[in-house]
Amino acid sequence: MQMDNFRNERDQYFKEIDNLNHPNETLVKTHCSYCAMQCGMNLRVNTKTNKIVGVEPRYDWPVTLGKMCPKGVTAYQQVNNKDRLLRPLIRDDQSLKGTKNGFREASWDEAYDLIVKKFTELQENYGKDSLSVYSGVSMTNEKCYLTGKFARVGLQTRYIDYNGRFCMASAAGGLNRSLGIDRGSTIPWTDVQDTDCIFLAGSNTAECHPTMMFRVWAIQERGGYVIVADPRETPVARRADLHLDLRPGTDLALANGIVNLLIENGHIDEEFIKNHTNGFEDTKELVKQFTPEYTSAITGVAPEKIIRAAEIYGKAPNAIVMFARGIEQQIKGVDNVSGYTNMALVTGKIGRAKSGVATITGQGNGQGGREHGQKADALPGYRKIANPDHVKYVSKVWGIEPEEMPKEGVSAFEMFGLMEQKTIRALYLLCSNPAVSAPDQNYVREQLKNLDFMVCVDFYLSESAEFADVVLPTTTWAEDAGTTTNVEGRIIKINQAQMPVGESKPDWKIQVELTERMGRGKYFSHLKTSEDIFNELRVASKGGTADYYGVTWEKIDKQDGVFWPCKDENDPGTPRLFLDKKFNHPDGRAKIFALPYRPSAEEPDEEYPLRLTTGRVVYHYLSGNQTRRIQFLRDMCPEPFVEVHPETAAKYNIDHEELVRLYTRRGETTYKVKITEAIRKDTVFVPYHWGHEKSINLLTIGALDPISRMPEFKACAAQIEKLKIKKVQ
Amino acid sequence: MKKRLYLELENCIGCRSCLAACTQCGGHEERNRNYVYDVNPLVNRQTMPLMCLHCVNPACARSCPAQAIQIHETGAVLSALVEKCIGCQNCTIACPYGIPKFDTEQNLMYKCDLCIDRSKDGIPPMCASVCPTNTLQWLTDEEIEAKQKQFNLDNGKWVTSMPYLEGETNVKVNLPGILQGVTKLF
Ligand code: SF4
Ligand code: SF4
Ligand code: SF4
Repeated sequence: MQMDNFRNERDQYFKEIDNLNHPNETLVKTHCSYCAMQCGMNLRVNTKTNKIVGVEPRYDWPVTLGKMCPKGVTAYQQVNNKDRLLRPLIRDDQSLKGTKNGFREASWDEAYDLIVKKFTELQENYGKDSLSVYSGVSMTNEKCYLTGKFARVGLQTRYIDYNGRFCMASAAGGLNRSLGIDRGSTIPWTDVQDTDCIFLAGSNTAECHPTMMFRVWAIQERGGYVIVADPRETPVARRADLHLDLRPGTDLALANGIVNLLIENGHIDEEFIKNHTNGFEDTKELVKQFTPEYTSAITGVAPEKIIRAAEIYGKAPNAIVMFARGIEQQIKGVDNVSGYTNMALVTGKIGRAKSGVATITGQGNGQGGREHGQKADALPGYRKIANPDHVKYVSKVWGIEPEEMPKEGVSAFEMFGLMEQKTIRALYLLCSNPAVSAPDQNYVREQLKNLDFMVCVDFYLSESAEFADVVLPTTTWAEDAGTTTNVEGRIIKINQAQMPVGESKPDWKIQVELTERMGRGKYFSHLKTSEDIFNELRVASKGGTADYYGVTWEKIDKQDGVFWPCKDENDPGTPRLFLDKKFNHPDGRAKIFALPYRPSAEEPDEEYPLRLTTGRVVYHYLSGNQTRRIQFLRDMCPEPFVEVHPETAAKYNIDHEELVRLYTRRGETTYKVKITEAIRKDTVFVPYHWGHEKSINLLTIGALDPISRMPEFKACAAQIEKLKIKKVQ
Repeated sequence: MKKRLYLELENCIGCRSCLAACTQCGGHEERNRNYVYDVNPLVNRQTMPLMCLHCVNPACARSCPAQAIQIHETGAVLSALVEKCIGCQNCTIACPYGIPKFDTEQNLMYKCDLCIDRSKDGIPPMCASVCPTNTLQWLTDEEIEAKQKQFNLDNGKWVTSMPYLEGETNVKVNLPGILQGVTKLF
């Protein structure tokens, strides 16, 4: 391929459109701060004040063409928001932990000194591993990479993990196991509209990744099919050709049932199976049991619908299977991913344009952030701590001896367990808000409170910051430059549009300065800019599965992003995976997995007869720490609610908008009822973007997938109680 | 080439990005000027935008006693002129869709002006720029004609051209049911 003028594909929707330039303003090209669609946008910057004042569509971004959801349109309002933290905060009175009270402003020096003193003391008394780092992937690759190095080389602790355990870990586990590589999508998003069938499992696409919807609808306009598997009739399910309205937590049975029918109907690709896969015979044997009737009995989906879904997917010349948190946030999330991936593997609908498998990544940098060593068991380039060669390579890049590399740590949720046992005594939290997003909040908040010392780095005083002793003010995405890797596996560039607000600093700078004060500066001081970090990341990832070595910031700009793997300067990147039908297992074959069905950790019973499932609304992102502070989004959706089917509501004698008590074995709270026929009768749904007493995660369960260590947010057993009207005394 | 706002109601997912974007048009004082309705909220998630259709012979302007509502040369029916509007709200009552909104503090009407700073130069209005589903599009007459041919509607007409509504409009609307008549690929 000619590198010189290579540019990633533009599709039939691409139009040259001018931007409106307002007087005294300049436009800075960048991407949205929120989900992994990473929609292109221009930030409008006033040239007199040098402040961001608005947003202008970025029509020339080939993936999203100027489109944005309401979060993206208003994202810039995070930057100069009145809630920004301007200076470090210290709280001297530990008894106020868990509240907003008692913080005083401090200088960076004082805050750093305190952190260094506490961290050193704890490590002297309890060992290096008494510190922990809990990170996130709503930040650039540069920051994610450096955070891994910060924990292991700077703080010298084994305990680092990240919020991807609540987001992408099951997809990563399943794709690695089935395909040998965890790049979320095997195809670029510009293929989506041209496929003949899209099978969306556990994805509330219209609310969580709205800007891919025009591509989904275009499939139907061409006469293709949209199939949606979801317990709720979400906006995409409403218009789908087929809505498989399954019980939460039963995806694996549905996947097995469809694979069984694909085999029975002769819709399999025998050549492909023979030459490019392993495991077909075992799987064939196992799925035999999953007849439409048997599958229906588990999933609650009518047998005709299952038959029809298998027929459509089987007959489609090209088809894409996509899934998201709905199937992944289960104790069998990894199996669900492999189970649905089996559909593509038995039919050979993978490894070519317009056909493939994708997980629709949640967080903005959910892809890149899991590749470069923030995960308890991983090192940059998707290397593994358990592999001595990998440790050797990365140690060399970092300038340490392989023996100095800390061992594997534990997953995000399991860190709370170690806090309970006092193995972990201090926490450095950044880019995440577990006091809202983790399951079983009563337990989690207890552990945060019991820490000897906690640092929280954020640009707002989040619910988690309320547990901190020191809060460090960091920058929003628009005050720093760097790269993210979007839903497609395309590395893209975030540009700086404004100087940091107040005394806030980008996360990477804080980490460099802290390590210098901890006497580890020789490993960090050379990193003066975000681009310096990227260039180190390139070397650290070289030769790994997620190889970024050939990516440069310049190349990203020139090519409209670069798809990894990209091995050297002359490599334009890899928009489509497996075109040569070579998968990333050592024998080059994909694995078809025989996956026995197992129920959720907590199935409904007499006491708790309802299935509780949680999710998102279009107006909010993750824990809502950012979006709840933006007027338009708050106006559109100010508070959580519980969705109940009218027949279920009648049974409980509850009305639309009535306050009810919702409870599980772990916690309870009250919500307004939203009556809708767009949900199963045996299921209730609550969005999770709120904290304190409104958090649905007070009720969810901390049961984990054995491989991905992902909690089962999507299914637990619950009960509703009509609130007694209290008599006025 | 002249472009128009074109609506495909069946695509709408109710994200209200169009409303968010409306507040971001420089001339809109951060107030959104159109509507998105939940069609049947207790039953399903169907939604539809209700936008000013920029009537060729607009009832809002006709009803205005102060001639505050001007029609731009592009056909866009503009928001009331601040110095002329007397706050009588005749326009809201006269409009078959109740589009013009009212600012009670300033005693002023405000409505969609198709982001006139943008659309006068052929730049799409903010709503049609961001709409994630192509419910709102900014198309040439040829493109709209092609759409009309592609979607075989029951009544053979665009809804806004039906006699009992406002007659000719600059914005073209496709009824829910755009998939009627689509032949499946297999
Ligand atoms: S939140 Fe996601 S879909 Fe919405 S504008 Fe941002 S990147 Fe795009
Ligand atoms: S932006 Fe488009 S999809 Fe969203 S509410 Fe408006 S018209 Fe509907
Ligand atoms: S739709 Fe209503 S507000 Fe718009 S031009 Fe017609 S009459 Fe006026």
